Amino acid sequence: MMTASGSVTVEIRDAHVSYRVYEEPAKGLKQGFARGRIRRRYRSIEAIRGVTLNLHEHETLGLIGANGSGKSTLLSAMTGLLPLASGSIRGRSRPSLLGVSSVMRPALSGRRNILIGGLALGFSRSEIEARMDEIIDFAGVREAIDRPMRTYSAGMRARLHFAIATARIPEILLIDEALTVGDEEFRRRAAERMDDVCGAAGSVVLVSHNMSEVERFCDRVAWLDDGLIRAVGEPAEIVEIYVSTSRPNSR
Amino acid sequence: MDGESSNASSPRSAALRPLIDLTTRPTPLNYLREAWRRREFAIVVPAQDLRAQNMDTTLGQFWHLMNPALLVGVYFLIFGVVIDTSRGVDNFLGFLIVGIVLFHLTQRVVQEAAVSITQNLGLIRSIQFPRILLPASSVNGQTAAFIPAIILALLAVLATGERPSMRWLLLPIVLAAQFVFNFGSALISARIGTAVPDLRHILPHLFRLLFYASGVIFSVEAFVHSPGWRRAFALNPIYDLITCARWSLLGHTVDGWVLVGTVAWSLVMPMVGFWVFFRSEQRLGA
Repeated sequence: MMTASGSVTVEIRDAHVSYRVYEEPAKGLKQGFARGRIRRRYRSIEAIRGVTLNLHEHETLGLIGANGSGKSTLLSAMTGLLPLASGSIRGRSRPSLLGVSSVMRPALSGRRNILIGGLALGFSRSEIEARMDEIIDFAGVREAIDRPMRTYSAGMRARLHFAIATARIPEILLIDEALTVGDEEFRRRAAERMDDVCGAAGSVVLVSHNMSEVERFCDRVAWLDDGLIRAVGEPAEIVEIYVSTSRPNSR
Repeated sequence: MDGESSNASSPRSAALRPLIDLTTRPTPLNYLREAWRRREFAIVVPAQDLRAQNMDTTLGQFWHLMNPALLVGVYFLIFGVVIDTSRGVDNFLGFLIVGIVLFHLTQRVVQEAAVSITQNLGLIRSIQFPRILLPASSVNGQTAAFIPAIILALLAVLATGERPSMRWLLLPIVLAAQFVFNFGSALISARIGTAVPDLRHILPHLFRLLFYASGVIFSVEAFVHSPGWRRAFALNPIYDLITCARWSLLGHTVDGWVLVGTVAWSLVMPMVGFWVFFRSEQRLGA
Protein backbone atom coordinates (compact mmCIF):
# COMPACT_ATOMS: atom_id res chain seq x y z
CA MET A 1 0.00 0.00 0.00
CA MET A 2 0.87 3.64 -0.18
CA THR A 3 3.18 4.58 2.63
CA ALA A 4 4.83 7.88 3.28
CA SER A 5 7.75 6.71 1.18
CA GLY A 6 7.51 9.08 -1.79
CA SER A 7 9.29 12.35 -1.39
CA VAL A 8 7.36 15.34 -0.11
CA THR A 9 5.51 17.63 -2.55
CA VAL A 10 3.83 19.89 -0.02
CA GLU A 11 4.86 20.43 3.57
CA ILE A 12 2.46 22.15 5.97
CA ARG A 13 3.97 23.07 9.32
CA ASP A 14 1.84 24.28 12.22
CA ALA A 15 -0.27 26.46 9.92
CA HIS A 16 -2.66 28.98 11.47
CA VAL A 17 -5.16 30.98 9.40
CA SER A 18 -7.40 33.71 10.77
CA TYR A 19 -10.38 35.19 9.02
CA ARG A 20 -11.82 38.62 9.38
CA VAL A 21 -15.56 38.34 9.64
CA TYR A 22 -17.20 41.69 9.05
CA GLU A 23 -20.19 42.54 11.12
CA GLU A 24 -23.21 42.94 8.99
CA PRO A 25 -24.48 46.48 9.40
CA ALA A 26 -22.98 48.54 6.56
CA LYS A 27 -26.35 50.27 6.58
CA GLY A 28 -24.77 53.24 4.93
CA LEU A 29 -23.17 56.42 6.05
CA LYS A 30 -25.71 57.44 8.65
CA GLN A 31 -24.94 54.58 10.96
CA GLY A 32 -21.27 54.81 10.13
CA PHE A 33 -21.14 58.42 11.23
CA ALA A 34 -23.31 57.72 14.25
CA ARG A 35 -20.70 55.23 15.34
CA GLY A 36 -18.03 57.77 14.61
CA ARG A 37 -16.37 55.80 11.85
CA ILE A 38 -17.08 54.34 8.46
CA ARG A 39 -14.66 51.45 8.59
CA ARG A 40 -16.60 48.27 9.24
CA ARG A 41 -16.09 46.32 12.45
CA TYR A 42 -14.81 42.82 12.23
CA ARG A 43 -14.06 39.87 14.43
CA SER A 44 -11.09 37.62 13.92
CA ILE A 45 -11.92 33.94 13.63
CA GLU A 46 -9.28 31.27 13.68
CA ALA A 47 -10.25 28.86 10.91
CA ILE A 48 -7.05 26.78 10.93
CA ARG A 49 -5.48 26.35 14.34
CA GLY A 50 -2.19 24.57 13.81
CA VAL A 51 -2.21 22.00 11.01
CA THR A 52 0.84 19.90 10.21
CA LEU A 53 0.60 17.65 7.19
CA ASN A 54 2.78 16.34 4.35
CA LEU A 55 1.77 15.41 0.83
CA HIS A 56 3.86 12.95 -1.11
CA GLU A 57 4.51 12.06 -4.71
CA HIS A 58 1.96 9.76 -6.34
CA GLU A 59 -0.50 10.39 -3.53
CA THR A 60 -4.17 11.37 -3.40
CA LEU A 61 -5.09 12.71 0.00
CA GLY A 62 -8.71 12.99 1.07
CA LEU A 63 -9.71 15.85 3.33
CA ILE A 64 -12.94 15.28 5.24
CA GLY A 65 -14.75 17.09 8.03
CA ALA A 66 -17.96 18.89 8.88
CA ASN A 67 -18.98 22.16 7.24
CA GLY A 68 -16.87 24.96 8.67
CA SER A 69 -14.12 22.66 9.83
CA GLY A 70 -11.58 24.56 7.71
CA LYS A 71 -11.16 22.31 4.65
CA SER A 72 -11.62 24.99 2.02
CA THR A 73 -9.62 27.48 4.08
CA LEU A 74 -6.71 25.07 4.17
CA LEU A 75 -6.85 24.67 0.39
CA SER A 76 -6.95 28.45 -0.11
CA ALA A 77 -3.96 28.83 2.18
CA MET A 78 -2.09 26.20 0.16
CA THR A 79 -2.60 28.22 -3.01
CA GLY A 80 -1.38 31.38 -1.30
CA LEU A 81 -4.78 33.06 -1.53
CA LEU A 82 -5.08 33.41 2.23
CA PRO A 83 -2.13 34.58 4.30
CA LEU A 84 -1.01 32.47 7.24
CA ALA A 85 -1.14 33.95 10.73
CA SER A 86 1.80 31.70 11.60
CA GLY A 87 3.45 28.49 10.51
CA SER A 88 4.54 27.63 7.01
CA ILE A 89 3.37 25.92 3.84
CA ARG A 90 6.04 24.96 1.35
CA GLY A 91 5.68 23.03 -1.87
CA ARG A 92 7.34 22.05 -5.12
CA SER A 93 5.17 24.40 -7.17
CA ARG A 94 2.04 26.48 -6.80
CA PRO A 95 -0.98 24.16 -6.61
CA SER A 96 -3.99 24.51 -8.91
CA LEU A 97 -7.24 24.87 -7.02
CA LEU A 98 -10.45 23.56 -8.49
CA GLY A 99 -13.62 24.75 -6.81
CA VAL A 100 -17.17 24.03 -7.76
CA SER A 101 -19.07 27.27 -7.85
CA SER A 102 -17.90 29.67 -10.46
CA VAL A 103 -18.90 30.48 -13.97
CA MET A 104 -16.16 32.33 -15.73
CA ARG A 105 -18.06 34.50 -18.22
CA PRO A 106 -21.75 33.56 -18.11
CA ALA A 107 -22.73 35.53 -21.22
CA LEU A 108 -20.11 33.93 -23.44
CA SER A 109 -20.17 30.52 -25.09
CA GLY A 110 -18.41 27.51 -23.64
CA ARG A 111 -15.88 27.71 -26.45
CA ARG A 112 -14.99 31.31 -25.64
CA ASN A 113 -14.76 30.46 -21.97
CA ILE A 114 -12.27 27.72 -22.78
CA LEU A 115 -10.17 30.26 -24.65
CA ILE A 116 -10.34 32.88 -21.88
CA GLY A 117 -9.67 30.36 -19.12
CA GLY A 118 -6.83 28.81 -21.08
CA LEU A 119 -5.19 32.17 -21.72
CA ALA A 120 -5.46 33.05 -18.04
CA LEU A 121 -3.78 29.74 -17.24
CA GLY A 122 -0.88 30.68 -19.47
CA PHE A 123 -1.64 28.70 -22.62
CA SER A 124 -1.03 30.39 -25.93
CA ARG A 125 -3.97 30.78 -28.25
CA SER A 126 -2.67 28.11 -30.62
CA GLU A 127 -2.12 25.65 -27.76
CA ILE A 128 -5.76 26.11 -26.73
CA GLU A 129 -7.03 25.70 -30.29
CA ALA A 130 -5.02 22.49 -30.51
CA ARG A 131 -6.55 21.12 -27.31
CA MET A 132 -10.05 22.50 -27.86
CA ASP A 133 -11.63 19.22 -29.01
CA GLU A 134 -9.99 17.26 -26.24
CA ILE A 135 -11.28 19.71 -23.62
CA ILE A 136 -14.81 19.74 -25.07
CA ASP A 137 -14.95 15.96 -25.19
CA PHE A 138 -13.51 15.55 -21.72
CA ALA A 139 -16.19 17.89 -20.38
CA GLY A 140 -18.84 16.14 -22.49
CA VAL A 141 -20.47 19.43 -23.51
CA ARG A 142 -20.08 19.21 -27.26
CA GLU A 143 -23.72 19.86 -28.13
CA ALA A 144 -23.80 22.94 -25.89
CA ILE A 145 -20.38 24.35 -26.60
CA ASP A 146 -21.58 27.34 -28.63
CA ARG A 147 -24.34 28.28 -26.20
CA PRO A 148 -23.82 30.93 -23.52
CA MET A 149 -22.41 29.33 -20.40
CA ARG A 150 -25.22 30.68 -18.24
CA THR A 151 -27.50 28.13 -19.92
CA TYR A 152 -25.33 25.27 -18.67
CA SER A 153 -26.38 23.01 -15.82
CA ALA A 154 -24.23 23.00 -12.70
CA GLY A 155 -22.80 19.67 -13.76
CA MET A 156 -21.84 20.92 -17.20
CA ARG A 157 -20.15 24.00 -15.74
CA ALA A 158 -18.18 21.93 -13.30
CA ARG A 159 -17.11 19.48 -15.98
CA LEU A 160 -16.01 22.21 -18.36
CA HIS A 161 -14.20 23.97 -15.58
CA PHE A 162 -12.44 20.78 -14.55
CA ALA A 163 -11.45 20.12 -18.15
CA ILE A 164 -9.96 23.61 -18.57
CA ALA A 165 -8.10 23.63 -15.28
CA THR A 166 -6.48 20.26 -15.90
CA ALA A 167 -5.79 20.72 -19.61
CA ARG A 168 -2.19 20.95 -18.55
CA ILE A 169 -1.54 18.33 -15.88
CA PRO A 170 -0.71 20.26 -12.71
CA GLU A 171 1.90 18.95 -10.30
CA ILE A 172 -0.28 19.62 -7.28
CA LEU A 173 -4.04 19.56 -7.79
CA LEU A 174 -6.51 20.65 -5.10
CA ILE A 175 -10.12 19.64 -5.71
CA ASP A 176 -12.78 21.29 -3.56
CA GLU A 177 -16.03 19.35 -4.02
CA ALA A 178 -15.67 19.68 -7.77
CA LEU A 179 -16.75 16.09 -8.38
CA THR A 180 -20.05 16.21 -6.52
CA VAL A 181 -22.05 17.61 -9.42
CA GLY A 182 -20.79 15.18 -12.02
CA ASP A 183 -22.34 11.93 -13.18
CA GLU A 184 -20.60 8.56 -13.06
CA GLU A 185 -18.98 9.03 -16.47
CA PHE A 186 -17.48 12.34 -15.38
CA ARG A 187 -16.17 10.83 -12.18
CA ARG A 188 -14.46 8.12 -14.15
CA ARG A 189 -12.73 10.71 -16.34
CA ALA A 190 -11.86 12.87 -13.36
CA ALA A 191 -10.32 9.82 -11.70
CA GLU A 192 -8.20 9.34 -14.83
CA ARG A 193 -6.99 12.91 -14.60
CA MET A 194 -6.13 12.48 -10.93
CA ASP A 195 -4.21 9.33 -11.85
CA ASP A 196 -2.37 11.36 -14.49
CA VAL A 197 -1.35 13.86 -11.81
CA CYS A 198 -0.20 11.14 -9.43
CA GLY A 199 1.47 9.23 -12.24
CA ALA A 200 3.62 12.27 -13.03
CA ALA A 201 4.99 12.31 -9.48
CA GLY A 202 2.36 14.83 -8.38
CA SER A 203 -0.17 14.97 -5.56
CA VAL A 204 -3.93 15.46 -5.37
CA VAL A 205 -5.95 16.76 -2.43
CA LEU A 206 -9.63 15.90 -2.62
CA VAL A 207 -12.13 17.67 -0.37
CA SER A 208 -15.42 15.83 -0.33
CA HIS A 209 -18.46 15.02 1.77
CA ASN A 210 -19.07 11.88 -0.24
CA MET A 211 -17.42 9.11 1.78
CA SER A 212 -17.59 6.45 -0.92
CA GLU A 213 -15.87 8.88 -3.26
CA VAL A 214 -13.16 9.47 -0.67
CA GLU A 215 -12.62 5.77 -0.11
CA ARG A 216 -12.55 5.11 -3.83
CA PHE A 217 -10.08 7.81 -4.87
CA CYS A 218 -7.82 8.44 -1.90
CA ASP A 219 -4.66 6.75 -0.69
CA ARG A 220 -4.78 8.52 2.65
CA VAL A 221 -7.40 10.57 4.47
CA ALA A 222 -7.09 13.45 6.92
CA TRP A 223 -10.04 14.39 9.13
CA LEU A 224 -10.22 18.07 9.90
CA ASP A 225 -12.29 19.18 12.87
CA ASP A 226 -12.64 22.77 14.01
CA GLY A 227 -9.38 23.81 12.38
CA LEU A 228 -7.35 20.90 13.75
CA ILE A 229 -6.44 17.51 12.34
CA ARG A 230 -8.24 14.86 14.36
CA ALA A 231 -6.83 11.83 12.53
CA VAL A 232 -4.81 10.84 9.47
CA GLY A 233 -4.51 7.36 7.99
CA GLU A 234 -6.06 4.61 5.92
CA PRO A 235 -9.20 5.86 4.13
CA ALA A 236 -11.52 3.07 5.32
CA GLU A 237 -10.38 3.45 8.89
CA ILE A 238 -10.62 7.26 9.10
CA VAL A 239 -13.94 7.38 7.26
CA GLU A 240 -15.38 4.87 9.68
CA ILE A 241 -14.32 6.86 12.74
CA TYR A 242 -15.55 10.09 11.18
CA VAL A 243 -18.93 8.66 10.24
CA SER A 244 -19.45 7.01 13.60
CA THR A 245 -18.60 10.18 15.55
CA SER A 246 -20.67 12.53 13.46
CA ARG A 247 -23.80 10.43 12.98
CA PRO A 248 -25.26 10.25 16.51
CA ASN A 249 -25.34 13.99 17.12
CA SER A 250 -26.83 14.98 13.78
CA ARG A 251 -29.56 16.66 15.79
CA MET B 1 5.53 -0.18 -5.09
CA ASP B 2 7.62 2.01 -7.33
CA GLY B 3 10.11 3.12 -4.77
CA GLU B 4 13.20 2.40 -6.78
CA SER B 5 11.78 3.70 -10.04
CA SER B 6 10.75 7.02 -8.53
CA ASN B 7 13.90 8.75 -9.69
CA ALA B 8 13.67 7.42 -13.21
CA SER B 9 9.92 7.89 -13.50
CA SER B 10 9.92 11.58 -12.67
CA PRO B 11 11.06 13.32 -15.83
CA ARG B 12 11.28 16.66 -14.04
CA SER B 13 13.68 15.17 -11.50
CA ALA B 14 11.26 16.57 -8.97
CA ALA B 15 12.88 14.81 -6.04
CA LEU B 16 15.82 17.15 -6.18
CA ARG B 17 13.87 20.36 -6.45
CA PRO B 18 13.74 22.41 -3.27
CA LEU B 19 10.37 23.31 -1.79
CA ILE B 20 9.28 26.91 -2.24
CA ASP B 21 7.22 28.92 0.21
CA LEU B 22 3.65 28.90 -1.10
CA THR B 23 2.26 31.52 1.24
CA THR B 24 4.49 34.43 0.37
CA ARG B 25 3.57 36.19 -2.77
CA PRO B 26 5.91 36.55 -5.69
CA THR B 27 8.32 39.46 -5.82
CA PRO B 28 7.10 42.37 -7.96
CA LEU B 29 9.55 41.37 -10.66
CA ASN B 30 8.44 37.73 -10.73
CA TYR B 31 4.84 38.88 -10.70
CA LEU B 32 5.39 41.07 -13.74
CA ARG B 33 7.28 38.28 -15.47
CA GLU B 34 4.37 35.91 -14.87
CA ALA B 35 1.89 38.50 -16.16
CA TRP B 36 4.03 39.13 -19.22
CA ARG B 37 4.12 35.42 -19.96
CA ARG B 38 0.32 35.54 -20.13
CA ARG B 39 0.11 38.81 -22.02
CA GLU B 40 -1.88 37.14 -24.80
CA PHE B 41 -4.84 37.18 -22.39
CA ALA B 42 -4.81 40.97 -22.30
CA ILE B 43 -4.80 41.12 -26.08
CA VAL B 44 -7.19 38.37 -27.16
CA VAL B 45 -9.84 38.84 -24.47
CA PRO B 46 -10.43 42.59 -24.96
CA ALA B 47 -10.34 42.11 -28.74
CA GLN B 48 -13.14 39.57 -28.45
CA ASP B 49 -15.07 41.76 -26.05
CA LEU B 50 -14.87 44.66 -28.49
CA ARG B 51 -16.09 42.51 -31.34
CA ALA B 52 -18.98 41.27 -29.22
CA GLN B 53 -19.93 44.78 -28.08
CA ASN B 54 -21.90 46.00 -31.09
CA MET B 55 -23.07 42.64 -32.37
CA ASP B 56 -26.72 43.53 -31.84
CA THR B 57 -26.59 46.86 -33.66
CA THR B 58 -27.29 47.49 -37.33
CA LEU B 59 -24.04 49.31 -37.95
CA GLY B 60 -21.99 46.82 -35.94
CA GLN B 61 -18.25 47.49 -35.81
CA PHE B 62 -18.83 50.79 -37.62
CA TRP B 63 -19.86 52.23 -34.25
CA HIS B 64 -16.26 52.30 -33.11
CA LEU B 65 -15.81 55.01 -35.74
CA MET B 66 -19.26 56.59 -35.52
CA ASN B 67 -19.14 57.15 -31.77
CA PRO B 68 -16.12 59.45 -31.68
CA ALA B 69 -17.27 61.14 -34.91
CA LEU B 70 -20.65 61.98 -33.36
CA LEU B 71 -19.00 63.06 -30.13
CA VAL B 72 -16.80 65.50 -31.98
CA GLY B 73 -19.76 66.62 -34.10
CA VAL B 74 -21.90 67.48 -31.10
CA TYR B 75 -19.20 69.51 -29.38
CA PHE B 76 -18.37 71.29 -32.59
CA LEU B 77 -22.01 72.19 -33.11
CA ILE B 78 -22.35 73.61 -29.62
CA PHE B 79 -18.99 75.23 -28.98
CA GLY B 80 -17.91 75.97 -32.53
CA VAL B 81 -21.22 77.15 -33.99
CA VAL B 82 -23.85 77.91 -31.32
CA ILE B 83 -21.66 79.32 -28.55
CA ASP B 84 -18.37 80.50 -29.84
CA THR B 85 -15.63 79.65 -27.37
CA SER B 86 -13.02 79.55 -30.10
CA ARG B 87 -11.72 82.95 -29.01
CA GLY B 88 -8.51 83.41 -30.91
CA VAL B 89 -7.73 79.73 -31.46
CA ASP B 90 -6.39 78.82 -34.89
CA ASN B 91 -8.19 75.83 -36.35
CA PHE B 92 -10.71 75.42 -33.54
CA LEU B 93 -12.15 72.23 -35.05
CA GLY B 94 -8.75 70.55 -34.99
CA PHE B 95 -8.16 71.87 -31.48
CA LEU B 96 -11.49 70.42 -30.32
CA ILE B 97 -11.07 67.04 -31.97
CA VAL B 98 -7.60 66.36 -30.59
CA GLY B 99 -8.73 67.35 -27.10
CA ILE B 100 -11.91 65.29 -27.08
CA VAL B 101 -10.36 62.15 -28.53
CA LEU B 102 -7.49 62.10 -26.06
CA PHE B 103 -9.64 63.03 -23.09
CA HIS B 104 -12.18 60.32 -23.77
CA LEU B 105 -9.49 57.70 -24.17
CA THR B 106 -8.30 58.27 -20.61
CA GLN B 107 -11.86 58.50 -19.33
CA ARG B 108 -12.92 55.22 -20.94
CA VAL B 109 -9.82 53.39 -19.74
CA VAL B 110 -10.21 54.53 -16.13
CA GLN B 111 -13.95 53.88 -16.03
CA GLU B 112 -13.64 50.40 -17.47
CA ALA B 113 -10.71 49.51 -15.24
CA ALA B 114 -12.77 50.50 -12.18
CA VAL B 115 -15.07 47.52 -12.80
CA SER B 116 -12.49 45.20 -14.37
CA ILE B 117 -12.05 43.16 -11.20
CA THR B 118 -15.62 43.15 -9.93
CA GLN B 119 -17.02 42.10 -13.31
CA ASN B 120 -14.64 39.17 -13.55
CA LEU B 121 -15.10 37.63 -10.12
CA GLY B 122 -16.12 34.33 -11.72
CA LEU B 123 -12.88 34.14 -13.61
CA ILE B 124 -10.83 35.22 -10.58
CA ARG B 125 -12.45 32.60 -8.41
CA SER B 126 -12.07 29.77 -10.87
CA ILE B 127 -8.58 30.28 -12.21
CA GLN B 128 -5.43 31.63 -10.63
CA PHE B 129 -3.67 34.20 -12.74
CA PRO B 130 -2.02 37.58 -12.22
CA ARG B 131 -4.95 39.91 -11.73
CA ILE B 132 -3.12 42.80 -13.29
CA LEU B 133 -4.17 41.19 -16.57
CA LEU B 134 -7.73 42.45 -16.01
CA PRO B 135 -7.05 46.22 -15.82
CA ALA B 136 -4.39 45.65 -18.51
CA SER B 137 -7.17 44.26 -20.70
CA SER B 138 -9.22 47.42 -20.09
CA VAL B 139 -6.30 49.58 -21.18
CA ASN B 140 -5.58 47.53 -24.29
CA GLY B 141 -9.22 47.19 -25.27
CA GLN B 142 -10.09 50.86 -24.93
CA THR B 143 -6.87 51.93 -26.62
CA ALA B 144 -7.62 49.63 -29.55
CA ALA B 145 -11.17 50.96 -29.69
CA PHE B 146 -9.81 54.48 -29.96
CA ILE B 147 -7.49 53.82 -32.90
CA PRO B 148 -10.29 54.72 -35.34
CA ALA B 149 -10.90 57.90 -33.36
CA ILE B 150 -7.24 58.87 -33.50
CA ILE B 151 -7.15 58.24 -37.26
CA LEU B 152 -10.33 60.30 -37.53
CA ALA B 153 -8.63 63.10 -35.62
CA LEU B 154 -5.65 63.01 -37.99
CA LEU B 155 -7.92 63.15 -41.04
CA ALA B 156 -9.93 66.00 -39.52
CA VAL B 157 -6.76 67.92 -38.77
CA LEU B 158 -5.63 67.45 -42.38
CA ALA B 159 -9.07 68.46 -43.65
CA THR B 160 -8.97 71.69 -41.68
CA GLY B 161 -5.86 72.77 -43.49
CA GLU B 162 -2.95 71.54 -41.39
CA ARG B 163 -0.02 70.02 -43.24
CA PRO B 164 2.14 67.21 -41.83
CA SER B 165 5.39 68.47 -40.42
CA MET B 166 8.32 67.05 -38.49
CA ARG B 167 6.37 67.77 -35.29
CA TRP B 168 3.88 65.04 -36.27
CA LEU B 169 6.60 62.45 -35.77
CA LEU B 170 6.48 63.24 -32.06
CA LEU B 171 2.79 62.37 -31.75
CA PRO B 172 3.50 58.64 -31.16
CA ILE B 173 5.66 59.66 -28.21
CA VAL B 174 2.84 61.76 -26.77
CA LEU B 175 0.42 58.86 -27.27
CA ALA B 176 2.87 56.44 -25.68
CA ALA B 177 3.14 58.77 -22.69
CA GLN B 178 -0.64 58.79 -22.48
CA PHE B 179 -0.74 54.99 -22.72
CA VAL B 180 1.56 54.48 -19.74
CA PHE B 181 -0.23 57.23 -17.81
CA ASN B 182 -3.54 55.50 -18.56
CA PHE B 183 -2.08 52.19 -17.46
CA GLY B 184 -1.09 53.58 -14.08
CA SER B 185 -4.45 55.28 -13.65
CA ALA B 186 -6.23 52.04 -14.59
CA LEU B 187 -4.37 50.13 -11.87
CA ILE B 188 -5.32 52.69 -9.23
CA SER B 189 -8.90 52.78 -10.50
CA ALA B 190 -9.13 48.97 -10.43
CA ARG B 191 -7.78 48.89 -6.89
CA ILE B 192 -10.15 51.55 -5.55
CA GLY B 193 -13.10 50.35 -7.64
CA THR B 194 -12.80 46.88 -6.12
CA ALA B 195 -12.73 48.12 -2.53
CA VAL B 196 -15.35 50.84 -3.07
CA PRO B 197 -17.69 49.87 -5.93
CA ASP B 198 -19.34 53.30 -5.59
CA LEU B 199 -16.36 54.62 -7.53
CA ARG B 200 -18.10 53.83 -10.80
CA HIS B 201 -20.81 56.37 -9.94
CA ILE B 202 -18.28 58.96 -8.86
CA LEU B 203 -15.98 58.68 -11.86
CA PRO B 204 -18.32 60.23 -14.47
CA HIS B 205 -18.63 63.35 -12.31
CA LEU B 206 -14.94 63.46 -11.59
CA PHE B 207 -14.26 63.30 -15.31
CA ARG B 208 -16.83 65.97 -16.06
CA LEU B 209 -14.95 68.23 -13.68
CA LEU B 210 -11.63 67.25 -15.23
CA PHE B 211 -13.10 67.86 -18.66
CA TYR B 212 -13.50 71.54 -17.88
CA ALA B 213 -10.19 71.69 -16.06
CA SER B 214 -8.34 70.21 -19.00
CA GLY B 215 -9.12 72.86 -21.58
CA VAL B 216 -10.75 70.37 -23.90
CA ILE B 217 -13.34 72.75 -25.35
CA PHE B 218 -11.72 76.09 -24.69
CA SER B 219 -8.21 77.39 -24.82
CA VAL B 220 -6.73 77.84 -21.36
CA GLU B 221 -4.29 80.37 -22.85
CA ALA B 222 -7.16 82.48 -24.13
CA PHE B 223 -9.17 82.45 -20.90
CA VAL B 224 -6.58 82.22 -18.15
CA HIS B 225 -4.15 85.10 -18.11
CA SER B 226 -2.42 84.81 -14.76
CA PRO B 227 0.86 82.88 -15.20
CA GLY B 228 0.39 81.36 -11.76
CA TRP B 229 -2.94 79.83 -12.69
CA ARG B 230 -1.58 78.59 -15.99
CA ARG B 231 1.16 76.86 -14.09
CA ALA B 232 -1.51 75.26 -11.92
CA PHE B 233 -3.11 73.84 -15.04
CA ALA B 234 0.16 72.09 -15.80
CA LEU B 235 -0.47 69.94 -12.70
CA ASN B 236 -3.37 68.34 -14.57
CA PRO B 237 -1.92 65.38 -16.49
CA ILE B 238 -4.71 65.29 -19.05
CA TYR B 239 -4.25 68.97 -19.83
CA ASP B 240 -0.52 68.32 -20.29
CA LEU B 241 -1.04 65.40 -22.66
CA ILE B 242 -3.68 67.18 -24.71
CA THR B 243 -1.56 70.31 -24.97
CA CYS B 244 1.45 68.29 -26.16
CA ALA B 245 -0.69 66.54 -28.78
CA ARG B 246 -2.06 69.88 -29.98
CA TRP B 247 1.45 71.22 -30.22
CA SER B 248 2.47 68.21 -32.28
CA LEU B 249 -0.46 68.28 -34.70
CA LEU B 250 -1.52 71.92 -34.80
CA GLY B 251 1.60 73.79 -33.80
CA HIS B 252 -0.08 75.44 -30.82
CA THR B 253 2.30 76.71 -28.19
CA VAL B 254 3.39 74.57 -25.29
CA ASP B 255 5.26 75.89 -22.29
CA GLY B 256 7.99 74.23 -20.29
CA TRP B 257 5.81 73.41 -17.30
CA VAL B 258 3.47 71.38 -19.47
CA LEU B 259 6.40 69.37 -20.83
CA VAL B 260 7.72 68.74 -17.34
CA GLY B 261 4.21 67.73 -16.26
CA THR B 262 3.83 65.28 -19.13
CA VAL B 263 7.16 63.59 -18.48
CA ALA B 264 6.62 63.48 -14.72
CA TRP B 265 3.08 62.08 -14.87
CA SER B 266 3.96 59.41 -17.41
CA LEU B 267 6.89 58.25 -15.31
CA VAL B 268 5.30 58.45 -11.88
CA MET B 269 1.78 57.18 -12.63
CA PRO B 270 2.70 53.64 -13.82
CA MET B 271 4.98 53.17 -10.82
CA VAL B 272 2.48 54.46 -8.28
CA GLY B 273 -0.28 52.49 -10.01
CA PHE B 274 1.66 49.25 -9.89
CA TRP B 275 2.61 49.79 -6.28
CA VAL B 276 -0.99 50.49 -5.25
CA PHE B 277 -2.30 47.50 -7.19
CA PHE B 278 0.37 44.99 -6.26
CA ARG B 279 0.19 45.78 -2.55
CA SER B 280 -3.27 44.27 -2.28
CA GLU B 281 -3.34 42.10 -5.39
CA GLN B 282 -4.14 38.92 -3.49
CA ARG B 283 -7.11 40.44 -1.74
CA LEU B 284 -8.72 41.86 -4.87
CA GLY B 285 -11.85 39.88 -5.51
CA ALA B 286 -10.97 37.15 -3.03
